[in-house]
Amino acid sequence: MNITKLNRRLEKHFGGAVSAQLDEDRILLSGHLATWAEVIEACSMAATKYSRIHVVNDIRCDEVGEQPMRCPSLRDSALEGQHPDVLIIGGGISGASIARELSKWNLDILLVEKEADLALQASGRNDGEVHPGIDLSTGSLKHHYIRRGNEHMETVCRELGVPFHRVGQYVCFEKASLKPMIAMYCRIRKNRDGISDTELISGEELSRREPNLHFAFAISNPSSGCVCPYGLTIAYAENAVQNGARVSLNTAVLGMELKDGNIYSVTTNRGTLYPALVINAAGVFAEDIAAMADDRFFSIHPRRGTNSILDKKAGAYMHAIASIKEVTRNTMHSKGGGILHTVDDNLLVGPDAVETWEKENTETHRESIDTVFRKQTRTMQKLSRGDIITYFTGVRAPTFEEDFIIEMGRKTGNILHCAGIQSPGLTTAPVVALDIEKMAVEYLSRSRQVTPNEQYDPIRPAPPVLREMSDEERAAFIRQNPDYGVIVCRCEEISRGEILDALRSPICVPTVDGVKKRVRPGMGRCQGGFCSPLVTQMIAEFLGVPPEEVRKSSEEAVITYGKTK
Amino acid sequence: MRSVDVLIIGGGPAGLAAAIAARKNGAEVLLLEREARLGGILKQCIHDGFGLVRYGEKLSGPEYAGRFIDEFHALQIEALTLTFVTRIEKKQEGFLITAVNREGLEQIHTKALILATGCRERTAKQVSIHGTRPAGVFTAGTAQHFTNLLGLLPTKKCVILGSGDIGLIMARRLTLEGAEVLGVYEAKPTPSGLTRNLHQCLHDFNIPLHLSHTVTRVFGQDRLSAVEIMQVDEGMNPIPGTAQRVECDALILSVGLIPENELAEGLGVVIDPKTKGPLCDAGLMTSVPGVFSCGNALHVNDLVDYVSQSGETAGQNAALYDPHREQTLIPVTAGEGLLYAVPQRLDLQSDNSAVTLYFRSRQNLGRCRLVITADGRELFTRNYPFLRPPEMERLTLDLSDRGLTAETEIKLEIEVMPDV
Amino acid sequence: MCELTCIVCPRGCTLQITGEAGNYTVTGNACKRGEQFATAEMTCPMRTLCTTVKTAFPAVPVISVRTSREIPKERIFDVMREINSLCITHPTGRGEVILQNVLGLGADIIVTADWPEEQDKEDRYEQ
Repeated sequence: MNITKLNRRLEKHFGGAVSAQLDEDRILLSGHLATWAEVIEACSMAATKYSRIHVVNDIRCDEVGEQPMRCPSLRDSALEGQHPDVLIIGGGISGASIARELSKWNLDILLVEKEADLALQASGRNDGEVHPGIDLSTGSLKHHYIRRGNEHMETVCRELGVPFHRVGQYVCFEKASLKPMIAMYCRIRKNRDGISDTELISGEELSRREPNLHFAFAISNPSSGCVCPYGLTIAYAENAVQNGARVSLNTAVLGMELKDGNIYSVTTNRGTLYPALVINAAGVFAEDIAAMADDRFFSIHPRRGTNSILDKKAGAYMHAIASIKEVTRNTMHSKGGGILHTVDDNLLVGPDAVETWEKENTETHRESIDTVFRKQTRTMQKLSRGDIITYFTGVRAPTFEEDFIIEMGRKTGNILHCAGIQSPGLTTAPVVALDIEKMAVEYLSRSRQVTPNEQYDPIRPAPPVLREMSDEERAAFIRQNPDYGVIVCRCEEISRGEILDALRSPICVPTVDGVKKRVRPGMGRCQGGFCSPLVTQMIAEFLGVPPEEVRKSSEEAVITYGKTK
Repeated sequence: MRSVDVLIIGGGPAGLAAAIAARKNGAEVLLLEREARLGGILKQCIHDGFGLVRYGEKLSGPEYAGRFIDEFHALQIEALTLTFVTRIEKKQEGFLITAVNREGLEQIHTKALILATGCRERTAKQVSIHGTRPAGVFTAGTAQHFTNLLGLLPTKKCVILGSGDIGLIMARRLTLEGAEVLGVYEAKPTPSGLTRNLHQCLHDFNIPLHLSHTVTRVFGQDRLSAVEIMQVDEGMNPIPGTAQRVECDALILSVGLIPENELAEGLGVVIDPKTKGPLCDAGLMTSVPGVFSCGNALHVNDLVDYVSQSGETAGQNAALYDPHREQTLIPVTAGEGLLYAVPQRLDLQSDNSAVTLYFRSRQNLGRCRLVITADGRELFTRNYPFLRPPEMERLTLDLSDRGLTAETEIKLEIEVMPDV
Repeated sequence: MCELTCIVCPRGCTLQITGEAGNYTVTGNACKRGEQFATAEMTCPMRTLCTTVKTAFPAVPVISVRTSREIPKERIFDVMREINSLCITHPTGRGEVILQNVLGLGADIIVTADWPEEQDKEDRYEQ
């Protein structure tokens, strides 16, 4: 990047309001702009895709309001004075998978998550697609990990007892005239980028496989699949805990103290810790954590996306992953989402992509649903908004270079960044975690002996899912425990026994949402209308507290205000 | 494996009435109920007004259900509670039902099947409410469960969206328990609930009703802190610039009920897109011979008395069901002025001397006339001083010996009459 | 003149009332009960109160009750307070009078629900 040239372009576009400066190995942008859209424009201008020289955004923006990180109200000293070998910041898919891989070693591993449960931000708010890598080219870290990640997903899901369905993906084209160009594109991807299983199929073949998809032709990527993203995150964390790692929820990192180019202490709302190594897996807050560690060499620009979940009845319309593709100037950049048949047999439609300065605003907007449905009803005409049972927004955490950052600190010694993780971050997480494990062990081995954990068991005993069993197996489980025969959630057919399993799981989150995320009561078409009072009661019984003390999610998420009389 | 003549799924008012009627008609009956107690939703409907048509009394929900439960037990009908149907298979003769309960999995064969599965409530996301996902968004039925069965107060200060009966009932109920109900908002230009509920639930307690207004967003990270209200046009689309923010701790929704027919659909039962319930003949048999439907699974009723009546019709006909009898089905269609009519067809081979028709008008009408025709030939007319969509009408007709043939089409139409 | 919606039955007739206390004329009613309702509504509106009463049993935190007859509308909250001060300490059932002649209004408070028979079953589910 020629900084003089860049400054000339910035000058031309923003009339001197923004300037760039090459500072060590980062491009520092400063100045003052009115809108966030302009900030994104300026930073994108300065960024080179997949470059290791990152744009750091210091532009003041009128649109950006004061919005401190949301923190738990809890204050105690549960972690005070601890000296973990590894402190992992962030309980998303990255943090949880890293914790699990590191638990192969005799290390004191502590994962902290500021929310009341794991996977509450981006990791629990995406579509769960396991990508094939068709849109990635050589040279990026995303590409470096994608194929191995895709392959490794099967092993990991088997070990962790998480459903993974390799349903295949179809990128669909309306115009037959594009076929030669797309065929060439696929050949390049296949031969140069190693997407070995990609192929072109005819419109007839597509309709034969998916009778509700009607196109001229499609790219078929059979290695694509889907998992439940929060299910996988929770399973990773549970397996980590089984193997000796610790998870501390409702724990926010508030500050750090540095000494001699290293993080000396980390302050949280639950006490100050003295970790040997800090792993930054803080998602949209990765830049803030890097800044605390005096190692800020990248910027995160939040990008939100909204997905709709459709009734299982609509799940019968399509059994794979599909989206219409229009060839525009940015040829294959996927925006406007797709349609995905989930592991739970719902359809998921979305997401869109909207730049925002707000890192934690997961509100949904009518316009997002409009945008996505406008496009996706063209993928499949049968798609109907009448089948929507719920929708949710997630905030992605990309850098301006739109690539992952997986490396040791550049200025600070004992920090390892796992940042800029966005799509296909779920697919790559299993293999990224393996690399981070290596890097962490290598770093720690310099100062101590790191020995393998002989008790390490990669298998997480998955709780039974009764609705998926054969009659004989189900009857046997009920004989063992009659609670498996009492259905509490009628829509998703979840028994009392399964809810109690969730409450007794390694990372117990005794809230209505915590139970919902683990075993699905309330995920169905009535959205908890019938079962939420029952689940509330069960949690109260389990905890031995009055039902009014049960929460939906966080401590402040009160469900009822006490007894009527 | 056990075998019965009539198996009923659902122990609410429809299922109880169906079981009793089937038993009285000589059938061996088994009722499956997924909850711990019989009575269905009536268990939590502690307000009065039930049974006016049937008993001429204003009973509370549990009292009304209690009368049927007493009779059910007196007839020594068997019910399996905490029993959930997981699968229904159609067999050469009859149906094989697989159900799960604390004892394990049970398979039961039945000659005839009655689906009395009731309905569920439409949720916030189904009426396009956006914003955050805090605690404090309840359907009226959920709020009612918390308040009336668990004795827990779900709100101190709330807004109710939808003027359906449950919403109105909950407005009064929460007010009685000390909560403040800031207002009931209704997207339609006319109220959805019964007039008497508007009077004694809202008017009595000075709770304002805002027509042509809806809730578009909710605010609050953990617990709901406010809602956004907007005025809507005739198409029920929010009008830009009319947004106002109302501070409250809960949003209670009474925005419609959806018949629960997932089991029916699994059997291939044809569903009427208007009622969202199965297409039935006058005996309330669905398009799958041997499968009957009644109560709110058939179509959403506003009075439990009619739910019971449809249960009785289904129960009686299920008991008398003969799989070898031929059918000659002719359509009964609802004209433009009607939201729907039930039954949607008539079987000319069965006894049609007392056919009960249920219908709702599409809009509020003054003096008008219902005209029932067979291929344009007038069969029956009745004048009404007014018709309102929230208030379902019922009439029983003798349609035997009316010259109906296999090609006949029966049609219900509404004619608006000039004011006197 | 005053307009009222009759709440005696689901029909909900719109009633017009003219005249003065002691001598009201009611029109718009489809039946005799409408006239009685309108007169009562003009002089002393009466309502049945339905609510719950707390019990000492954790498995049945509240049970539903109602007034055995209508009470003056303006006394509803007074009667609520009375009912809310009660606590059922024995298994009760539909029809049982738990408070006679509440506040001297001539109405009893009666239980409207059956005591859950399967309470022993529910207890089995407790941890």
